Amino acid sequence: MRRCVLLLAFALTTATQPLLGQVQVIGIRDLAFGAVIRGVQTSVSPSDPLRSGQFYINYTVGGRVRLRFTLPNALARVGGGATMPITFRNGDAILQGTAPGSPASSLNPGAVSNEFLLLPNPDANVWIGGRVSPTATQASGSYVGTIVLSVTVF
Amino acid sequence: MRTTIIQVSAVLAAILSLAGSSAQAQSANITATATVYQAMTVTGARTLDFGNVFPGVAKSIGVAAATSGRFDLTGQNSANVNLTFTLPTDLVNTAPTADLMPIGSWTGCRNATNTTAGCTSFTPSGSATASAFSGAGALFVFVGGTVTPAANQAAGTYNGTVTLTAAYF
Repeated sequence: MRRCVLLLAFALTTATQPLLGQVQVIGIRDLAFGAVIRGVQTSVSPSDPLRSGQFYINYTVGGRVRLRFTLPNALARVGGGATMPITFRNGDAILQGTAPGSPASSLNPGAVSNEFLLLPNPDANVWIGGRVSPTATQASGSYVGTIVLSVTVF
Repeated sequence: MRTTIIQVSAVLAAILSLAGSSAQAQSANITATATVYQAMTVTGARTLDFGNVFPGVAKSIGVAAATSGRFDLTGQNSANVNLTFTLPTDLVNTAPTADLMPIGSWTGCRNATNTTAGCTSFTPSGSATASAFSGAGALFVFVGGTVTPAANQAAGTYNGTVTLTAAYF
């Protein structure tokens, strides 16, 4: 009876264990606002072909993909001394499979999670835009911040 | 028999809990960047003045002439800036007849100081000309051209507007 129990456990393990959803995320392009003027809000659309930020995601197996952004609320001046507000809204990110004709899905990068059924092709791009709001007395110079995209396949 | 059933149930429970853990996660970073510049100013500092012209006699004013047109710009020190022009094809008589006098063959020169000595020549047009502010945030743009009055050009004062648009890049 003991041997029967052990054999049963082994059979169930090999028959029901699903293949793990493997995923790869790569940062492709920075979100580049370029030159901004004091007191003038500057926006970048996620569809901007040059300035929008871009990630590439690749997944082999799985049923659903969950995207989660970790976003800054301010850019920091290089060399210190100032910060500049940055904001993101619903529609500031886009997900699209790489296969020709793949539909684009608009995302809210500030959402706790964006969850989708996996696209027919195993990879996709994610683009992100946003807006910076320099004050009228914003210190001149370069400002930077970090955007993180976490992808879970399950 | 009872003991055996309990043992099987425990094993099954363990297997089912392990089978539910199939998620994988990865993360990547990009950087958001911006460069704050001071606001730019563009001033029409001097009119392009052809003075007296005569019917049938074309007249040119070069960028180095005392009556060439001039724009004065201020902006972020050493920043790159594109210069784009909107240029008339005719000057218009201010008299009620609104006669036209062709203007063209535009010439331009840009410099970090208010002089054409050592300036950089270019052709003003609707296409962007790349330039840059000086280390002190100054840029001077000189403009010349040629008017071509007809042999029967009506007498009068003729005017037109030259517009310079500057943008950081």
